[in-house]
Amino acid sequence: MSEDVRRMSDQLARDPSSRIFVPLGEALRQQGQFDVALKVTLRGLERHPHLADAHDLLARVCVDRGEMERAFDEWDMVLRLSPGHLGALKGMGFVCFHRARFAEAERYLAAALALDPVDDQVASALHHVRAAQTQAASPQAAIAESIANDSRYLFLDVLPDEAQTALLLDPAGLVLAGAYIDGNGRDVAQDVGAELSGVTDAARRATRHLAMGDWTSIVFETEVAVVAMAPSSQDGLLVLATSRATPLGLVRRLLSRCQEKAQHWLGEQR
Amino acid sequence: MATPFTAMLQTLSRQRGVTAALVVSEQDGIVIDSNMHIGQSGDRVAALAASLYRKARLSARAAGMGAVSFMQLEAPNGRLCAAGSGELVLVVVAATAVNVGLVRVDLLRAAVELAQIAKGGRSR
Repeated sequence: MSEDVRRMSDQLARDPSSRIFVPLGEALRQQGQFDVALKVTLRGLERHPHLADAHDLLARVCVDRGEMERAFDEWDMVLRLSPGHLGALKGMGFVCFHRARFAEAERYLAAALALDPVDDQVASALHHVRAAQTQAASPQAAIAESIANDSRYLFLDVLPDEAQTALLLDPAGLVLAGAYIDGNGRDVAQDVGAELSGVTDAARRATRHLAMGDWTSIVFETEVAVVAMAPSSQDGLLVLATSRATPLGLVRRLLSRCQEKAQHWLGEQR
Repeated sequence: MATPFTAMLQTLSRQRGVTAALVVSEQDGIVIDSNMHIGQSGDRVAALAASLYRKARLSARAAGMGAVSFMQLEAPNGRLCAAGSGELVLVVVAATAVNVGLVRVDLLRAAVELAQIAKGGRSR
């Protein structure tokens, strides 16, 4: 036990209400005696529950013990007792960074740096947080961009339900956009498209022969799904598949939305 | 001359708005039997309807959706409904105002009967 620790311990023994428990707890913490430091700090807080520096010390002991959640709560308490407490701002920045909450970490560290602009440690930490934030945002942006550019995801925003999917086929039955994933996780869009090639032509000839006007939709029911089809521009075919549970009125509405989406997309491709 | 399909075709044709009812071979689109209004020619409609139904069935199989039970084509001035059973397809041509729900129920019921006829027996 160091001389300082012995001296402070004696002083605390003589006067248990002394605030010496704060530097004593800090010295013990720095010596790696985390359990003893915790005990001293908690005992001191019983007498001084509103002492911000004591809560700050407790938070740091918690970090040493790997108790991040508790550390966060303690620093939160410090900021309530003493808004703008430098140690707590740094601590909150650290915990938020540890939890990958980079935006919050940046806010706390920026506030700490504003209080102490010459603190190199805080400046460096802030730099790290901003770099991590940029790195974390990049893959998300890349994924979003990739989805936006991938025609397989064309109907994703129109059909948020997993049980709904749509395909846009060209006159030869080749897939222009959309996907159809079967029960085995395989994209069978090309197979479905191949089987449906010529539907547009057959439907048109049938309705013309019967003097019904141009066909507007074909709906067929299977054991597990309802499939709705509609003509799209450039002699293409739009195919929407939904679960059997989907009401037919909703199927029509979804088909109409997909038609609009396909129309817009085809216009962009010209 | 009455055929095994006469009764079911008459039942389907009795629906208000139905102008034709046919039993068609799905494979080649040939009319097996029909009940049509005077002046109508069923051959072409039968071939096209069978082709559409076949495409629906094959695409459903490719997607692992199971068997197709009912199909409906909609146009501004009419509808074409179909229900299949094995190699045979029942086709109904109807006006826009037809009660599709009733036609659907009758077609699905008739398709069951059709399957029994195909097996060699009659339900009634």
